[in-house]
Amino acid sequence: MILFWQSLVNGLLLGGIYAACSAGFSLAFGVMGVVNLSHGDFVMLGAFITYWLFILTGMDPFLTLPFTLLILFFLGFFLQRLTINRLVGSPPIMSYLLTFGLHLVLSNLALRAWTADFRTVQTPYSGLTMNFAGLVIPYSRLATFIMAMVVILGLYFLLYRTETGRAIRATAQDREIAQLMGVKIFKIYTLTFALAAAITGLAGSLISFTFVIHPQMGLPFTITAFCVVVLGGMGYVPGTLWGGIILGLVESLATTYLTAGISVAITFFLLLIMLIARPQGILGKGIVE
Amino acid sequence: MAFLECRRVTKRFGALEAVRNFSFALRPREILGLIGPNGSGKTTLFNLIAGLYTPDEGEILFQEKSIVHLPPHEICRLGIAKTSQITMPFGTMSVYENILVAALYGQNLGMSKAHVAAERILTFVDLHKQRDEPAGKIPVPSRRRLELGRALATGAKVLLLDEVMAGLTPVEIEQALLLLKRLSTQTTLIMVEHVMQAVMGISDRVLVIHHGEKIAEGTPTEVAGRPEVIEAYLGKRYT
Amino acid sequence: MLMRRAGLNGILLPLLILGAILLLLPLLGIEGYRLRLLSLLFMWVALAGCWNLMSGTTGYIDFGPVAYFGVGSYCTALFMIKGGVPFLLSVFIAGWVCAALSLAIGLSTLRLQGAYFAIATFAAAEALKQVVLEGDRVLGIDFLGGAHGLTLPSPPSGIFFYYVMLFLMGLVVSLTAVIQKSKLGYGLRAIRDAEQAAELTGVPTLQIKVRAYILSSSLIGCIGGVEAYWLTYIIPDDVFNVMRTIQMVIMTLLGGMGTILGPVIGASFLILISEFLGAKFVYDYLIFVGLVIVVVILLMPQGIIGTLVKKRGKSPWLF
Repeated sequence: MILFWQSLVNGLLLGGIYAACSAGFSLAFGVMGVVNLSHGDFVMLGAFITYWLFILTGMDPFLTLPFTLLILFFLGFFLQRLTINRLVGSPPIMSYLLTFGLHLVLSNLALRAWTADFRTVQTPYSGLTMNFAGLVIPYSRLATFIMAMVVILGLYFLLYRTETGRAIRATAQDREIAQLMGVKIFKIYTLTFALAAAITGLAGSLISFTFVIHPQMGLPFTITAFCVVVLGGMGYVPGTLWGGIILGLVESLATTYLTAGISVAITFFLLLIMLIARPQGILGKGIVE
Repeated sequence: MAFLECRRVTKRFGALEAVRNFSFALRPREILGLIGPNGSGKTTLFNLIAGLYTPDEGEILFQEKSIVHLPPHEICRLGIAKTSQITMPFGTMSVYENILVAALYGQNLGMSKAHVAAERILTFVDLHKQRDEPAGKIPVPSRRRLELGRALATGAKVLLLDEVMAGLTPVEIEQALLLLKRLSTQTTLIMVEHVMQAVMGISDRVLVIHHGEKIAEGTPTEVAGRPEVIEAYLGKRYT
Repeated sequence: MLMRRAGLNGILLPLLILGAILLLLPLLGIEGYRLRLLSLLFMWVALAGCWNLMSGTTGYIDFGPVAYFGVGSYCTALFMIKGGVPFLLSVFIAGWVCAALSLAIGLSTLRLQGAYFAIATFAAAEALKQVVLEGDRVLGIDFLGGAHGLTLPSPPSGIFFYYVMLFLMGLVVSLTAVIQKSKLGYGLRAIRDAEQAAELTGVPTLQIKVRAYILSSSLIGCIGGVEAYWLTYIIPDDVFNVMRTIQMVIMTLLGGMGTILGPVIGASFLILISEFLGAKFVYDYLIFVGLVIVVVILLMPQGIIGTLVKKRGKSPWLF
């Protein structure tokens, strides 16, 4: 029985992390209609920025977060200006293909630069765990989970309680009307994508001390983000929290009670089933083209 | 025995009732005009008949059989064709090929018979000169005629014409009216129109829709004088 | 009349001549490495052509074709190893298995809008890979070979596979040409241009899409089966590898989606580049491929053939 609760807790912690990693994906889609298949590579880049700062300067991973935020923000900014901007209004297929091309470039440049070796960020406090009612909770996972919640709450606050956030949401709902009301659409698009990239990179940094990092880790995260966002509702950012937690729980339970390998298949089956049976997400608030 | 019949059809989108308790019966080879202010539910009604939406309540019967749960392509094959307000040509194909597709699938013909039918329709809607132009690049009046041609090529017995006169010059309207008059000897037409002279001049009967409900029905003269109709278009102060 | 029906017009004669040359090449002394390279080229033209049959014509981007490649490989291998069924018959049956599978997957996923269809097919392909990888372990049997894969009986000479792949390539290219001017082809293009209008014009859109999907998938399955015998050894990570999907997509995209010659040009170009960059520069090849995609999408979404033809004033979807 304790195994079940442990599995549940693991799933919850994992879910929070998944949610943070996927929020940017939902944002990009909700506002611009762009499905970013290079999304996972932002996670990867965030993780690597933390790793190299840690290895080369000894900086504590948590302190690297502002750097990741800034670097990925600018990366997103440039990518948007150079490429994605031209895709707004095109059929979604184009953004699939283009961002997939970006994925190939980003992940293989990383592979070339840093080789395929698996790496980890090992701090003095990496292995410490907490014991709560017989359940083992690693401090790093807990800290990551808390940070992930902070990120999501921060995003929520930004979107729902600030002027800029309102402009972003207005653009997502009805581009023409937003334009008529004075919202500078392309500025919003650039800001949104840069923001999405920044948050995703931040999430990547967060996971660098609980996951193994390598240049090819991006694609699975893109798939995860897709699953999370479909579960929570495409384009409905608060939904990513629920989507993340559901996926985290399902994966955790499957890993515990079946095999580790099959849990990946379960992610896919879940995604497939959701797309076929309920594309608008569990909460029904997703955008279905 | 009604050719096409709607019985108490209702369609809701969330809290909004786009079409409410709408009933009417269409006789073969009549021209029925459907008028009403913007947003009154005309296009929704057409979409319901054509099968793009399913009514929440009520029945739609074509030749006495219910068509409510049939997919649009089957309704088309049965003989009901709809043109769209915003024309949707098959852009990468030529004008001729657009009509060909309609003949191939709408009437379920083989290639050679479909070619024959397509040629005939092409001439009927007077698009012969533009037959090889890409359908996405022809001027608006031609696109309207292409929409019509495509609908005709499906072998339609009932044509739902959604604002085919919009944006046409008076001369073009006259030509269109002649075309439609010729059509009506073979086909039954329901016309949604804002161009009043056109629809009032040509229709045998007129239905007036407002906020999704039928508020008047009769010959064009009968309907034009009704206070509810005037009120719907111009507001209470003018009655 | 037949030439016009096939939509190839002035291209037919040069193509036939090329076909005759290709038929004679092994007899003229081409062998070893060059023979293998050509066979590989034929295979990829066929694969890209199959993908084009579905996605190029309907506009529904299929991101899971490798699923059928893998299923076809495994079916062929299993029939030959466990059932002793002769090669060609195994491939034939494998094609039918893929047809049945694609019917199921197609019916459920082709109802979704184009963008979701892409993800659903991708998910299906990855899921199938996982099933093959883990299936034995979960069920406690030894059938699929798990991560170690399967070994097939000894194959005949390279010349055999040269001709089989040449045949498959010819088949796919001819099919594309024939379909283009057929009733099915018109239905497919109507769906791509304006799906709702097509539905309203009497095109049974779901049925037509599924038909194209089944055709494409079963052929991909057959090609997978042939490759399995050719390589003699198959593992899930190879025959279900998403890179195959990517190659199919790029080759067609680069050459021109929906055209007859697009996959031919695209596949030839990419195979030659990959041979040039070779095993030493695998990452470079992928980076190059990624850049190609980005550039093509931004600058010439209709691919090489499409853009060329468009410049001459004809419809870009021919040739």
